[in-house]
Amino acid sequence: MKKKVLGAVAAAAVATLALTACGSGGGSSADSAKGEISYWLWDSNQLPAYQQCADDFHKANPDITVKITQTGWDDYWGKITNGMASGTAPDVFTDHLSKFPDFIKTKQLVPLDDAVSTDKVDLTQYNDGLANLWVGQDGKRYGLPKDWDTVGLFYNKKMAADAGLSPAQMASLSWNPQDGGSYEKAIAHLTVDKNGKRGDEAGFDKNNVAVFGLGLPGSDAENAGQTQWSFLSATTGWSATDKTPWGSHFNYDDKRVQDTIAWWASLAQKGYMPKLETTVGANAPDAFGAGKAAINANGDWMIGQYKGYKGIDLGIAPTPTGVDGKNASMFNGLADSIWAGTKKKDASIKWVEYLGSSACQDVVASKAVVFPAIKTSTDKAAAAFAAKGIDVSAFTEHVKDKSTFLLPITDNAAKVAGIMKPAMDAVIAGKSPASSLTDANNQVNALFSK
Amino acid sequence: MTTISSPKAGARRRPFNWRRTSAWVLLALAIAVSVLPFYWVLRTAFSTNGSLAANSASILPADFNLGAFKRVFGLQTASEAIAEGGSGASINFFQYLLNSLLFSSITTAGAVFFSSMAAYAFARLRWKGRDGVFTLFLGTMLVPPIFTALPNFLLVKNLGLLNSMLGLVLPYLFMTPFAIFFMRQFFLNMSREVEEAAMLDGAKHWRIFFQIVMPNAAAPIATLALLTFMGQWNEYFWPLLVGTSEESRVLTVGLGVFKSQSPQGAPDWSGLMAATLISALPVLILFSIFGKKIVNSIGFSGTK
Amino acid sequence: MTTLTKHPDPELSATGRSRKSRKSQKRGKPGAGFRGIGDLKIALLFIFPAMIGFVLFYLVPTIRGIYLSFTEYSILGDPEWIGVKNYQQIAKDPLFWNALGVTSEYVVINIVLQTVLALGLAILMHRVAKSTLIRGALLLPYLMANVIAALLWFWMLDYQIGIVNQFIEWVGLPRVAFFGSEQWAIPTQALINTWRHMGYTALLLFAGLQAIPNTVYEAASIDGSKAVSTFWRITLPLLRPVLALVLVVTVIGSFQVFDTVAVTTQGGPINATRVLQYYIYQRAFNEQDFGYGSALAVILFLILAIVAFIQMKFLRGNQSDLD
Repeated sequence: MKKKVLGAVAAAAVATLALTACGSGGGSSADSAKGEISYWLWDSNQLPAYQQCADDFHKANPDITVKITQTGWDDYWGKITNGMASGTAPDVFTDHLSKFPDFIKTKQLVPLDDAVSTDKVDLTQYNDGLANLWVGQDGKRYGLPKDWDTVGLFYNKKMAADAGLSPAQMASLSWNPQDGGSYEKAIAHLTVDKNGKRGDEAGFDKNNVAVFGLGLPGSDAENAGQTQWSFLSATTGWSATDKTPWGSHFNYDDKRVQDTIAWWASLAQKGYMPKLETTVGANAPDAFGAGKAAINANGDWMIGQYKGYKGIDLGIAPTPTGVDGKNASMFNGLADSIWAGTKKKDASIKWVEYLGSSACQDVVASKAVVFPAIKTSTDKAAAAFAAKGIDVSAFTEHVKDKSTFLLPITDNAAKVAGIMKPAMDAVIAGKSPASSLTDANNQVNALFSK
Repeated sequence: MTTISSPKAGARRRPFNWRRTSAWVLLALAIAVSVLPFYWVLRTAFSTNGSLAANSASILPADFNLGAFKRVFGLQTASEAIAEGGSGASINFFQYLLNSLLFSSITTAGAVFFSSMAAYAFARLRWKGRDGVFTLFLGTMLVPPIFTALPNFLLVKNLGLLNSMLGLVLPYLFMTPFAIFFMRQFFLNMSREVEEAAMLDGAKHWRIFFQIVMPNAAAPIATLALLTFMGQWNEYFWPLLVGTSEESRVLTVGLGVFKSQSPQGAPDWSGLMAATLISALPVLILFSIFGKKIVNSIGFSGTK
Repeated sequence: MTTLTKHPDPELSATGRSRKSRKSQKRGKPGAGFRGIGDLKIALLFIFPAMIGFVLFYLVPTIRGIYLSFTEYSILGDPEWIGVKNYQQIAKDPLFWNALGVTSEYVVINIVLQTVLALGLAILMHRVAKSTLIRGALLLPYLMANVIAALLWFWMLDYQIGIVNQFIEWVGLPRVAFFGSEQWAIPTQALINTWRHMGYTALLLFAGLQAIPNTVYEAASIDGSKAVSTFWRITLPLLRPVLALVLVVTVIGSFQVFDTVAVTTQGGPINATRVLQYYIYQRAFNEQDFGYGSALAVILFLILAIVAFIQMKFLRGNQSDLD
């Protein structure tokens, strides 16, 4: 009896469930070019610039209002994925190269090819290579570039001067994986312990360091060492994947990258860089701002943050030259993509095109927060930075000299990060040798062999 | 110290016993450990973020300032916030507060009411299979929430209710095994006489339940509602999965987000502590009003 | 998980007096069954809403969860049946075994610390202080959400500027990377949880202590029993049912540690705090592998069931020596 009753209730419940489940779901009405569209981004520093773009856009298109929502990076992607599943994702959002392959795979993005050809968007106006990053394996375009970034060395000018390092010297450091070259020498010399002894002096107490030569922002396995070690390993001729974009085989088992990582991890053991365990909950730029680190390698989107620290005379140097005698930087760019579930496709396309036009990118340039994707806007941004007293040539020269390489663009990015992060952390923390990355690499490649 | 000092304590009591003294010292220590962190939250919340590092050991707020609270409530401009060490990001705390209130009240009302009904059926009505069904219900207490959370997430997604308040409250709305168990226990102990009298007058079960049983159960229902409300207020995992939109994000989830808002994840400690304080406030208020009830209900009804 | 004190026999009160058919008033074996349908119709109405909740959000999800564990499924696609492949992978997944290890470490530290401290506090309260105010103060941490407790301690235990490390340094010891070092990460999580639950557990045990009749103690003191031996010979055995219940609940709760990890270390450093539930969350929601996540959840469920079963058997929690 009991079972019967229960079974009946369960059956009824499941039936209603199935019915409602069928009833819900898509069915977008006519693609309207009117109304309010939502736009998400994660960098709060850029919010004012894009808010102004949105206001200008609304003036030019009174029918369309753009509602901007900013959400921190950690939260951003979960919210987007969840939103896609629930039908509440934003119409347009700032997209990242490491994330968009998964979105293409699950058909969550609107191809922009038709719009680009009908509206005659000039793809050559962008810095070379940026526009093509956003073409998927299916040959379709899923984003219009909005900005680009490279990596440089932020350093404390006063500390460098005290250590006898001139800006010219800082700008011409060199590196190799064996002894670290003049890059390591500078880092060691800039490291000072509690007794005032420098890192390269006898009697240096590596367990009581007051100022670290190099800051540690974490191992950043998620973005293949973008701001930590990628600019070094690239000079050895190593590349993260078999091909870029759309690689399907990772190369963390290569001795060249393992040597680079081993060298980098050794800085922490020598006391020139904070130990990974002391950086939980702390933050490398803030430590730099508090005078606890002399050099921070970081991306150009952090210029505003570094410049904002009071009492710090900020110097910016290009990444050190490496094994091949040149310097290098990862070249990454963001784009704006349209979610496939949007109910206001036409309005969204208009907004994306506006974001990708010089009208908006010049506004972004004038705020001097990042480098817009359009060449002429990039120059304007450099001028805006210069007007603030910041020399950004360390970042722009990579683009001019074409000394850049790309972030690995592959499928399974989240799973790759899930495997690589602990593995990389273990090496940086000195718990495992760099050769242990081979094992992680095998796990990563197994993801692609399915 | 007051409540009915039992005779056995008096019997064993000796004046100026070192044991007694050390017992009090230990107890005081435990209370200090329990309560002092809250002072530190207060102290940090009223500090200026930028001054925390330099005055990390000062007992009083470092650079007394209400900026953290303004930041939490979005009363500061982005540039002011950044200048004080905030992220400049907008966190919609008022909205989260409202969401938390809605989520906790709706689920509490639903769960307590429907569970009481079921508990009545389990305690006072005679029907075949009653004990079997009750055991089955009780068995769900052993099911780890994460186990049902994955499919429930999918269910809510299929219903198109992801990121909505309705999707958030649904799994808790109809019952919680604990509420049924708690109320059933009370009903079992309740005197039958009034009910029987009403029955003889020809009253139906519905009327008996609503007019006699429920009013008589006001006290345990209040206790249960309090416990449920506090539990729901503190809930994190389910809202984390289902409520990511502004309309459905609750305070606990918002707090976690607040922590990772600034560029590269440096916590805005004073802002975070101010937010923590505000999030804890409703429960603290409830506790200060119903403290005695809550304290005394534990033991009779401990869960989790 | 409740009613540590009052536990009347439900059968007695339910069957004791029947209303509809006074004829069938029989007292035989409890639960011997009712004749006819009794109040079935009205009872169904009463339990209907709860039944919806039970079926929709407990029963069906349980079945669906088991089904999903045999599939490969990302939330934006359709599930694909792959048999026991997920389970085979789990068997050789080092992160799963790591998660099991660190979760167990957490459970052990947590349980030992929490139970000992709570028992001590309960006895202290029972002996010297029964004030509601004191009990309220001890209960305060429990009223905070896990998330709040975690953030509060994340701040106080911060390596650079946390007050605890200031104190440690002031005493003359080296700073401790509570959240950053592999050795400390799990004990720190357990300490946070102990802080939050200590007072609450103490109150539960306190209630248990109060339920022990004074006559037992009086008899013991007449026998000349010392305090310590009274504790071991009388208090502890009589407290056993309560203690057993508390232990079962805390162990089961501890196995599901998530909130504090999620807002502080997020599985790190390296894999030191990648506890089971966090790992499940990571696989299912960050990496969109719902099938694998479900399989992990099934295993967690089985572990909990086994642990609860063993505990109940071992502690004979449903019987009291008092009877």
